[in-house]
Amino acid sequence: MEVSFELNGEPVTVTVEPYVSLLDMLRDEMGVKSVKKGCEQGECGACTLLIDGVPVTSCLVLAPQVESRHVTTIEGLEKNPLMIDLREAFIENGAVQCGFCTPGMLISAYALLRDNPHPSEEEVKRGIEGNICRCTGFTKIIEAILDAVERIAPE
Amino acid sequence: MRPLPKFQYHAPKTLAEAVQLMDTLENAKPVIGGTDLVPLLREAACSPSHLVDLNNVAELNYVKEEDGFICVGATATHSQVAASELMRNAPAVVDAVSRIGSPQIRNRGSITGNLCNASPAADSAPPLLVYDAEVKIVSIGDTVIIPLPELFAGPKINSLEPNELVTEIRFPVPPISSSSSFKRISRRRAFTLSVVSVAAYVELDGGDCTEARVAFGSVAETPIRAPGVEERLTGEEMNNQTISEAAEAAKQSVAPITDVRGTAEYRRDMCGVLLKRALNTAIGRLS
Repeated sequence: MEVSFELNGEPVTVTVEPYVSLLDMLRDEMGVKSVKKGCEQGECGACTLLIDGVPVTSCLVLAPQVESRHVTTIEGLEKNPLMIDLREAFIENGAVQCGFCTPGMLISAYALLRDNPHPSEEEVKRGIEGNICRCTGFTKIIEAILDAVERIAPE
Repeated sequence: MRPLPKFQYHAPKTLAEAVQLMDTLENAKPVIGGTDLVPLLREAACSPSHLVDLNNVAELNYVKEEDGFICVGATATHSQVAASELMRNAPAVVDAVSRIGSPQIRNRGSITGNLCNASPAADSAPPLLVYDAEVKIVSIGDTVIIPLPELFAGPKINSLEPNELVTEIRFPVPPISSSSSFKRISRRRAFTLSVVSVAAYVELDGGDCTEARVAFGSVAETPIRAPGVEERLTGEEMNNQTISEAAEAAKQSVAPITDVRGTAEYRRDMCGVLLKRALNTAIGRLS
């Protein structure tokens, strides 16, 4: 079947079987490799992206379910000022080691700060509770997100 | 990589179409968030020939007050429910749905799906049980409303006929003198099944409890109410002694099993501990 949607601002149409996940369609049919395949159960958050601006795990979304929707991966936020601040904060705070969780982590952090520009540390923890990091550890990631808060709107 | 089994996909735009599809298709399953269903498909725990996606049925996406009920449409996500002003007087529901899974899961999953999945550990169930929730079920030419306990037929088994769709969960608008709380124990906070969960609902007149309702998750084949515990509380002055007696009654009223998440003894004890905490939180919310 054909699925038409907007990927990072560009209209696209893909021919895909309905029993393919959005994650597999993006990686295997469209070459979008920033969405990572971890657990395929929605638990690790490595495949997190935005559908109509809302963060979801793309391994649990069926490809045809994005018909007429807006899908955004980190590629689509490359020039977004908030994402630039987050990215730099991640690099400077050593919040990236192997990098596998990073795209999903950045999307969750982006959605958190977009909706809540001044989160507490507890709110940051809750904002990324659906993203698992297994090498950097969460401390530096949390520090990076709190640092990004300062960069965006120093009080 | 675990591929999904083959199925045909349908995306009706109206409830009438959806009901028609459920009636005519063989071995069809409805899907909303897919947060439970997609992992089940990958594990081959179920293998529908057809999936009927309800997400494009605009008339099923709402949280509203109508005829004295707070009504949650089938496709309303946990996030939508948690953010609704109407849920302010039902804090146990917010406690539960704002902690289910993770942000990504709450943005996708629905309480309807959580309930229809009929897990004994479904976190939205105990709070909705103490609010006397009802389930609106539509099939071709027929609409019925059943009490929530009747939806649960057994562990991970619901009582729906193959052609039936749950379109709404609703519960009476709670009185101002009421409050509630939901507590759970789990190995970690995000994304894990409850070892034990409890919802407590109280209506207070001064210091006296005029109505109490208690429900537990993960201690029986389905989420359950605890009428014996409720009797201990209703009509009593809410003090530490009453609460301790109710907690003791809670431990006696459940018959949990031992499994990978916890032992029967631990679960039984924690029913008492969690009930105390839930009652104290609910009472605190009224003061």
